[in-house]
Amino acid sequence: MHGYSAPLRDMKFLLFDILKIQDLANAIAAYGEATPDIVSAILEEASKFCANELQPLNRGGDEAGCAFENGVVTTAPGFKDAYAKFVEGGWPGLASDPAYGGQGLISPVNFAFDEMISSANLSFGLFPLLTQGVYYALKAHGTEEQKNTYLPKLVAGTWSGTMNLTEPQCGTDLGLIKTRAEPQADGTYKIFGTKIFISAGEHDLTENIVHLVLAKLPAAPAGVKGISLFVCPKFLPKADGTPGVRNAVACGSLEKKMGIKASPTCVMNYDGATAWLVGQPNKGLSAMFTMMNAARLAVGIQGLGVAEAAYQGAVDYARNRLQMRSAKGAKYPDKPADPIIVHPDIRRMLMRSRAMIEGCRALVLWIGQELDISFHHPDAERRQAAEDLVALMTPIVKSMLTDLGYAAANDAMQVHGGHGYIREWGMEQLARDARITQIYEGTNGIQALDLVGRKLPTGMGRLARRFFHPVGEYIEKRAANPFTAPHIAPLAKAFGRLQQTTLWLGQAGTANPEEAGAAATEYLRLFGLVAIGFMWSRMAEKAFKLNMSAPDEFYAAKIATAQFYMAKILPETGSLMASIMAGSGPVMGLKEEAF
Amino acid sequence: MTIAKVCVIGAGVMGSGIAAQVANAGLPVLLLDIVPPGVEDRSTLAKAALVKLAAAEPAPLMSKAAAKLIEAGNLEDDLKRLAECDWIIEAVTERLEVKQALYRKVDAARKPGSILSSNTSTLPLKMLMAGMPESLRRDFCITHFFNPPRYMRLLEIVAGPDTRVDAINAVAAFSDVKLGKSVVHAKDTPGFIANRIGVYWIQYAVNAAIEMGLSVEEADAVMGKPIGAPKSGVFDLLDIVGLDLQPHIDASLRAALPKSDGYQKLSADFPLLQKMISEGLTGRKGKGGFYRLNKAGNKKTKEAMDLKTGNYRPVMKVSLESVDGAKGGLRALVSHPDRGGKFAWTVLSQLLNYVAGLVPEIADDVADVDLAMRTGFNWKRGPFELIDQLGAAWFAEKLAVEKMPVPPLLATAAKQGGFYQASSDGQKQLCLDGRYKAITRPAGALLLADIKLKGSPLAKNGSASVWDLGDDVACLEFHSKMNSIDLDTLSMAKKAIEIVSKGMRALVLYNDAENFSVGANIGLALFAANIGMWPVLDDLITQGQNVMKALKFAPFPVVGAPAGLALGGGCEFLLHCAAVQAHAETYMGLVEVGVGIVPGWGGCKEMLIRQNAGNVPHGPMPAVMAAFEQISLAKVSKSAANAKELKYLRKADGITMNRDRLLPDAKALALKLAAEYIPPLPVELRLPGPSGKVALNMAIETYALQGLALPHDVTVSGQLANVLSGGATDVTEITSEDRVMELERGAFMALVKTEPTLARIEAMLATGKPLRN
Repeated sequence: MHGYSAPLRDMKFLLFDILKIQDLANAIAAYGEATPDIVSAILEEASKFCANELQPLNRGGDEAGCAFENGVVTTAPGFKDAYAKFVEGGWPGLASDPAYGGQGLISPVNFAFDEMISSANLSFGLFPLLTQGVYYALKAHGTEEQKNTYLPKLVAGTWSGTMNLTEPQCGTDLGLIKTRAEPQADGTYKIFGTKIFISAGEHDLTENIVHLVLAKLPAAPAGVKGISLFVCPKFLPKADGTPGVRNAVACGSLEKKMGIKASPTCVMNYDGATAWLVGQPNKGLSAMFTMMNAARLAVGIQGLGVAEAAYQGAVDYARNRLQMRSAKGAKYPDKPADPIIVHPDIRRMLMRSRAMIEGCRALVLWIGQELDISFHHPDAERRQAAEDLVALMTPIVKSMLTDLGYAAANDAMQVHGGHGYIREWGMEQLARDARITQIYEGTNGIQALDLVGRKLPTGMGRLARRFFHPVGEYIEKRAANPFTAPHIAPLAKAFGRLQQTTLWLGQAGTANPEEAGAAATEYLRLFGLVAIGFMWSRMAEKAFKLNMSAPDEFYAAKIATAQFYMAKILPETGSLMASIMAGSGPVMGLKEEAF
Repeated sequence: MTIAKVCVIGAGVMGSGIAAQVANAGLPVLLLDIVPPGVEDRSTLAKAALVKLAAAEPAPLMSKAAAKLIEAGNLEDDLKRLAECDWIIEAVTERLEVKQALYRKVDAARKPGSILSSNTSTLPLKMLMAGMPESLRRDFCITHFFNPPRYMRLLEIVAGPDTRVDAINAVAAFSDVKLGKSVVHAKDTPGFIANRIGVYWIQYAVNAAIEMGLSVEEADAVMGKPIGAPKSGVFDLLDIVGLDLQPHIDASLRAALPKSDGYQKLSADFPLLQKMISEGLTGRKGKGGFYRLNKAGNKKTKEAMDLKTGNYRPVMKVSLESVDGAKGGLRALVSHPDRGGKFAWTVLSQLLNYVAGLVPEIADDVADVDLAMRTGFNWKRGPFELIDQLGAAWFAEKLAVEKMPVPPLLATAAKQGGFYQASSDGQKQLCLDGRYKAITRPAGALLLADIKLKGSPLAKNGSASVWDLGDDVACLEFHSKMNSIDLDTLSMAKKAIEIVSKGMRALVLYNDAENFSVGANIGLALFAANIGMWPVLDDLITQGQNVMKALKFAPFPVVGAPAGLALGGGCEFLLHCAAVQAHAETYMGLVEVGVGIVPGWGGCKEMLIRQNAGNVPHGPMPAVMAAFEQISLAKVSKSAANAKELKYLRKADGITMNRDRLLPDAKALALKLAAEYIPPLPVELRLPGPSGKVALNMAIETYALQGLALPHDVTVSGQLANVLSGGATDVTEITSEDRVMELERGAFMALVKTEPTLARIEAMLATGKPLRN
């Protein structure tokens, strides 16, 4: 299989020319430290690490998977060494608070790094991803003691983390959980119950594993208002902070699954395991929600990473695979046949992936920057606006980017023909690995419901305003400009469709809640396509300007890809609108017995 | 007989409140009290009461003019003036010997045939009249008002065996039409109707809450909204009434009721209440009650009494599934297994069972009992309506299962299918003989509900309907949530105009709801603004302005008939009517600035006209200034009479005291106007233009500098100043009505694009209170 090389040029273009991270230098300290030199150096080093250490392990990890024996999980060959180098290089704490030993890197750059890891080795990336989730949750809700005990270890990567939500009878509906926590005289709790689908629940990469567990206290209210959050380490920390006594939590078995085989998906049995309450009793779910945005954005980035890897593989294959001649006559008469990249249908697939990947990358890095603003900007109103925008866009980013991951991997397989279906070229693994991202951390259907049922109604559209007003103003300002008009006209049309559909949804959804449910997934996609269109418009405008002063193939390619997006992808919004406006009737019409 | 002048004796809270309501009705009233020993001003008690009346909240008086109708005096120097009065209302202390001594004095001074009534709540008529001459007995009855007399609609009237029928009729008719009361004829039984039931309810619920371990917040959360009672429930209600009164009321009821009465079984043992009273914790009038606001340490903490410990602690949020689930109906509430549901069942099953056994002992029929509880305790539904809501059969069966006795009347209702039946000739109620008979309203009273029972609307959509009131008068009824006005309301208004134009004579804007309209549907507007759908908002303004113009210049009279709140867009509807017949309790105002916008449906324009901005001799500024002050301060009238003072209503507009007579009065006014109706001509305004705007802006800036105007107030008022000063005009030019509306639209569209306006609208929707930004 083709190797991986990180799209550094595109990443830098986005960070410096589109998001202009340097403009926030005065407002947010971490942006002041993120000088172009430093950011470029980090990205270069990260790309080397991913290409040289992680990507080569990807296929072997898929084939070997994880071994399970007597409660012990052994990761695939090479993972332990690679993880040691990962820790040694200081990569786990790249974006963490310097107070706990992190490097305080800004989110857009960290997101770019996450994308590279996901491109190189999705299974490997899950370990630090979960550790980061535990880090955020404890940082936001833990006591000082809990923070001091766990955060430095998690930041260093010597301890890893897990999230224990799902149980056999409860997935999306967490109100149904049964795991219970019994208060002890010493202020600790004993956890009893079984959790399933626990990524990295048990493994041999770190000296300790920190489990965050949702459980119910005695006499807790029914449903989601009665769930509490606990921290439960595999080894109870000793006074000196090193791992001590083994806790009564163990891996019961590993799931056999479609993809991400090098990531152990565990059944975790809690048999009176010692744990400590995190945050307030019965407020566990809201504590989990505070890190939900970050976690969902991270899963979106996984999809983006797989898409990039698949696209690179497909381009490489399309350049080298010689089959048939161009419809316009031989382009490479010296060769037995033309490379298949000359064929329009191959181009269609490659362009589609490329346009979506670059657009989605721009979108998620923008939201990453807004995430930082929502926490650190000195102006409270600016923080609120950013928080609103991130909340609104999170389900869109998660769904659009993970749908892209699977679609791009699927198209890349198709470009490979029969070779895409066999193991050697790596494409089928990418498709299998990508598939989970559409499911976990809230299925994409749930993301769509979150958007229409929770995010749109908040403040009667206040969150929506953070997107609609700037985009509306952006379009209005440029509508008459002959240079930008070619991009703006299709964007304006799609934006108008989004406005119409949103208003319709607001009215129809109030009258009949099923309307919102029936429209949700298509509405999210419509929204996502407009948001990506907005990013493409900004990118095209900038590339156009830069290309005038310093012509460059990179800018020319940007402009051509933007045109592809506007002409070939954005028009999907028309059919989505028509389908949404058809209402819930066609969806709900068939009698249940008739299925 | 006609009642032209009234005397109230006893200038306490009730007496002065009753006097105020008589004055509100436009009648002169004499307020008398005793001469306290050693005072200089012998009428000091009544005079002090007048001072208190002017300051009391909620205001007992509706206008300044009403205040002037009350004359203060004393029982010695002014006794002879009783001869001027047709009705003398006694509201003195609840002591038999005091009252009887007074009656003898009154009887000597009053004119023959005048009526004397007592406002007693605890003394039976037969005791009051024991030993009194027959001439007085014939002219005597009990008229039991509820506190505060202006706002509580119930009046219980008790006639004695000797009372003249025409005296009772005169008092009832006067109280109904002039004082706006819902008159219920009660019997001479302890506590009459409402207190007999209400006191049982409070006593039982308090006992049960303690016994079942509910907190005061929980008990009130259950005994409030979920059962259709005010949210004060029982404990907060005791705080409002005064804790110290409860033992007296309880003791007097116990003493007066027969030993066999169900009330006697209720425990009166409530040590915590005694302890609280002895510590001065008598409720809102005292140092606190079951709730209090603890202001210690510069913080205001709302606290509640812990029923177990007898100590205050911070108020806790109630989390009871039964309360959340009560939206699913009363049966869902009382069937819920949590302690809220159990509490609701225990209290309601006992209470309703008790009440079902009280007819005909305390009232002739069930409808009177329900009316008394609705208007005397502000319940949404009376006890028999509550039983129907549960299902009479279901309720009776459940009582039987729990081995509780089922009173015969309830058994009949269970068999027949409830206490009430809707039919095309009106609502019917179950009688003791098992038959249903029509419920009759007092002569001349009419609600739209009565019309609705008899037919279907001429037109209808989700937000409004058009009804035929007979005599070729149509009624436009709003019925959206809170009667907020949306595009559907506007299109139905257009439809109404179209219908009346084709052969009817007049249109009345009226609905039975508590509030005429809270204004435009800002939720819809906010959503459209948030997603940048500016054409939708522009359309909302255009449609609204078109409807207002069509109403104003219609070839037939349009009569607005508001009651309760008529705010924002609701107020603008009324400003464009040919005339208004308002319920006395009408609270009108252009409150748009509270949500960061200006009136956009001709409200600015109409206020300029009301303030006489066409009048050149005085120059344009006084009118513009007056309109500016009124709109920028979002002044809301405190009554219909006050709305006249504020010029939201015109001098010629009518006021109806009884809510149930508003519709017939409005219809009569519409027919009167229709007899020779000429639509108005558009007014030509003279406005100052930029120079006036500068003056208004200076006023705003002064306010801002004094800290009286917030940053966004300056922006909003600036836009308002531009509209009211007429934009780029000057006093030599004529500004048309249309031009002012164009300016309104411009101001609205500019403001609705600003963040602070959107934040204000959002906050109003979320909290119901204006955001100060």
